[in-house]
Amino acid sequence: MSAPVLVGVLVAGGVFLILRRGMVRVVFGFVLLTHAANVLLLASGGTDRRRPPLVGKADPALMADPLPQAFVLTAIVITFGTTVYLLSMIHVRRSEERAGGPSG
Amino acid sequence: MAVGCLGKGGGMVLLTALALMGGLTLAAPLVSRRLGRDAGYALSAGFAAVALVLSMVSPTVLAGGVVSASWEWIPSLGVAFTLRLDGLSALFCVLVLGVGALIMAYSARYLPEGGPHGFIYCLITAFGGSMLGLVLAGDLVLLYVFWELTTVVSFLLIGMSGGKGTRPAARALLVTASGGLALLGAVVLLVAVVGSSDLGVVLDSRREVLSSPLGPAIGALLIVAAFTKSGQVPFHFWLPGAMVAITPVSAYLHAATMVKAGIYLLMRFTTLFAGVPAWSLVLMGAGFLTAFLGAIWALQERDLKALLAYSTVSQLGLLTASIGVGTAVALAAAVLHTFAHALFKATLFMLVGVIDREAGNRDLHQLSGLARVMPVTAVLTGLAGLSLAGVIPLIGFVSKESLFQGFTGAQVVPGAGAVAGVLAVAVSALTFAYAMRIFYGVFAGPTLQPRLREPSWSFLAPAAVASVAGLILGPAVTVLNPLVRQASLDIEPWAVPPHFSFWHGFSIELFMSGATIAIGLALFLFRDRVDRVLRRPSPLEGGELFDQGYGRLLDAGSAVAGLTRRDSTAVFLARPVVGVVLLGAVGAVTYTGWGGARPPSEPADWIVLALVASAVAGLVAARSVLGMVMLSGAVGLLLTVWFLQAGAVDVALTLLLAEILTAVVAALVLWREPRTLPPERRRGALAGCGLAVLTGVTAAAGAAALTGRREISAAGEYFLRTAEPETGGHNVVNTVLVDFRGFDTLGEISVLAAVALGLASAKVGRPEDRGRLEPYDSPVLAPAYRILAPVIGVLSAYLFLRGHQEPGGGFIAALVAGLLVAFGVLIGRATTDRTVRPGVAWPPGWGLPISVAAGLAAVAAGRAFLAPLKASWTVPLLGPVELSSSLLFDFGVYLVVLGLMVTAVVRLGAGEGRVG
Repeated sequence: MSAPVLVGVLVAGGVFLILRRGMVRVVFGFVLLTHAANVLLLASGGTDRRRPPLVGKADPALMADPLPQAFVLTAIVITFGTTVYLLSMIHVRRSEERAGGPSG
Repeated sequence: MAVGCLGKGGGMVLLTALALMGGLTLAAPLVSRRLGRDAGYALSAGFAAVALVLSMVSPTVLAGGVVSASWEWIPSLGVAFTLRLDGLSALFCVLVLGVGALIMAYSARYLPEGGPHGFIYCLITAFGGSMLGLVLAGDLVLLYVFWELTTVVSFLLIGMSGGKGTRPAARALLVTASGGLALLGAVVLLVAVVGSSDLGVVLDSRREVLSSPLGPAIGALLIVAAFTKSGQVPFHFWLPGAMVAITPVSAYLHAATMVKAGIYLLMRFTTLFAGVPAWSLVLMGAGFLTAFLGAIWALQERDLKALLAYSTVSQLGLLTASIGVGTAVALAAAVLHTFAHALFKATLFMLVGVIDREAGNRDLHQLSGLARVMPVTAVLTGLAGLSLAGVIPLIGFVSKESLFQGFTGAQVVPGAGAVAGVLAVAVSALTFAYAMRIFYGVFAGPTLQPRLREPSWSFLAPAAVASVAGLILGPAVTVLNPLVRQASLDIEPWAVPPHFSFWHGFSIELFMSGATIAIGLALFLFRDRVDRVLRRPSPLEGGELFDQGYGRLLDAGSAVAGLTRRDSTAVFLARPVVGVVLLGAVGAVTYTGWGGARPPSEPADWIVLALVASAVAGLVAARSVLGMVMLSGAVGLLLTVWFLQAGAVDVALTLLLAEILTAVVAALVLWREPRTLPPERRRGALAGCGLAVLTGVTAAAGAAALTGRREISAAGEYFLRTAEPETGGHNVVNTVLVDFRGFDTLGEISVLAAVALGLASAKVGRPEDRGRLEPYDSPVLAPAYRILAPVIGVLSAYLFLRGHQEPGGGFIAALVAGLLVAFGVLIGRATTDRTVRPGVAWPPGWGLPISVAAGLAAVAAGRAFLAPLKASWTVPLLGPVELSSSLLFDFGVYLVVLGLMVTAVVRLGAGEGRVG
């Protein structure tokens, strides 16, 4: 039962942050939301089998579902990409303000 | 219908011709880089070579055979890549390749010396290829594809003329592309009625189409498509606007070939609709209206290119009307006049380009007396002008006489022949008048620019060839008879086409020609009076109307968008969040599975949860930016532990590395921001807090409802069972990524590559902001970097190589390497100048191609895209070594991820001063 509560906590924190003013908080809010999505994805594979899915290292009946793990692994890297992109928007806005250009 | 289908042998000729055009298109920029503008001569020879290739099958075609071949394309839809050459296609091939060769040779002198012409040559050749494909297409879908290709290339060529070309290019694109949509509609309906998209089958299905209730709709859609492309009223206005393009483009696309695509379409499908009164009346009505208005507009014009554009509109109108008459004589006349018009109109455009280049002007009122200084140009222009005016003995005379003959034979309604004959004479008289004006205006009168000289023979030669051809082909028109006859037979297989000859005897057409010249001369002689009448502004300004309508459409669009456009992210983001809560409420009412058992949690899970909750609480309350970076990192690290506990080793490793790198990038960006965030207004915070709690509860409930499963998924079970025997890998997660679901991963790294590209091209700071980081001369960090760099590099390689068997792989190994880059940037070892060179030389840019190549290798070996190929051999000392193409794929992943790291860290880290 811990996984759903974990998702709830992360979503609540994330939503609170993305509804604030200022890009910095919004970025961190999105980070929390993506964490929540990743936890949900992994939990969808079930949390009773917890051995790493490495063939030969454990009893296959106890191994965790590898498919959600693969999903989450790529999702983490993509999250990194989008986070960097959001951060770059802060960067661009700062550069534009310094240059006296549009600040939108 | 005489159909003698040849096998693949003849078809291969067509495919070769089309492939050659593709090859020429690709070669054009390279040739141009080497030869400069002279590349036009090479390309001209290329066009001639393609024509030569096609001429190999000309005996078959002229004997009434159809050369065709078909390759599988979209078998599930019954669509094939079919090429098909009959007499009608052959006539248009002659135009596309013949005029194309002349235009290429002309461009070699028209384009200024020096300067990059590669793109222009490439586009014009691409157009030639598309147009050839259009007339060779033997499948309706293929026909549509090439039709749209010509539209797109035309748009690019018009738009290339800089700022003044933007609006005309957009107009041309919108009009012709909407015609393309009409064609697509017609194709879909035809396939629905006939049951095949094969052109040959469709053309044999006249009875089915005419008896179908969809028949009228098909005819109407085809007419709309043809009218937009061929500039018929009310779609004519894009054509004069297109004259902002350079003259070779105007001559080739917007006089000789592309605008004839509509004529081709009408001729093609006359096979289905000939003799249907509505088809005839619409074509004749719109055709004559266009012909008449176009000629009037041409008389009003002073700009020579615009004048010729209106003249093209007018002549295309005559062709449309003639196709509408639909008798064998009228169709044969339309075929002949299509050829004649392409010849003399391309010539006139080329010569106007010559005059424009030499005299620096193409305004009828400012040019004068050029005959004395440019006599050869004057003679050539005179010949082409006489052909346009339909004066004996030029080819325009023969084709105009045959048009007259066709019109007088119109029988769609009683008296149609007489009306059509009178209208044709009126249009031709106007044509004669503006042809006279062109010649008289430019060449007669006092010489204002006595220093001008005849241009070089090489500049004049292509126009001279076309001009003299028009003179020879008039008396020698019988040379064209076999082709014109066969083209007419291909349109109406049941009819008996006429035989053209130069001299008809004293027939009614000759008297009509006489009347034309007499009225035309009168219109020319009393031109002042004519001008006074014509000076009244025309009420029908299609272009203006179109622009207004288009502007309204854009306004409506921004009004719709305005409903959701807010300056505040919070207002914008609140809506989907509220949507989630509402969705959850609906789910709570309808969901009934709450009674089931939940998967168990271990004590450690609850500890992690408690720690995450406190970190999130801190993050929500924090006002210090640095504190937020640290707390966010803490949440990430705690989740790493959670993932480890859940048995997701690779995920945990990835998250750990990603968190570190995120923290580095965040620090790089945020250290220049204000260190503390502004306090929140209490009311806003309260509302946000309420919504956040609601959403959190909804998410928790949803997660509880969705994660109730206890048994492993079928897919997961399959992967665990087959990973080792199928792929040889022991790390099942990695095999899922690179072997089983490689296509998925390819999509994901494409996203990453797009982000990297966005970062690399984003205007991050101005150049002066992006100076070097000052080296951070730390006595500890710099030596540490020197020692750690090779260690981390080896570690990264090790993690990469073992990824198929144990935790590791492309993603993780690249993140480790990314740490090295981040470290380097932090201490100022890597800077923008050295590290990010997004060009061919930049290795991470090769990531996507390498991954795709690994997938294609499997295709080449006869397997599915991205299927793993394995090879194993025994290496002395190391024992058996197994290599899989999935390793290459994973290497592509590695490069993409590393590329993103490098781009992110360096682009965002590059700033003035150093990172303290």
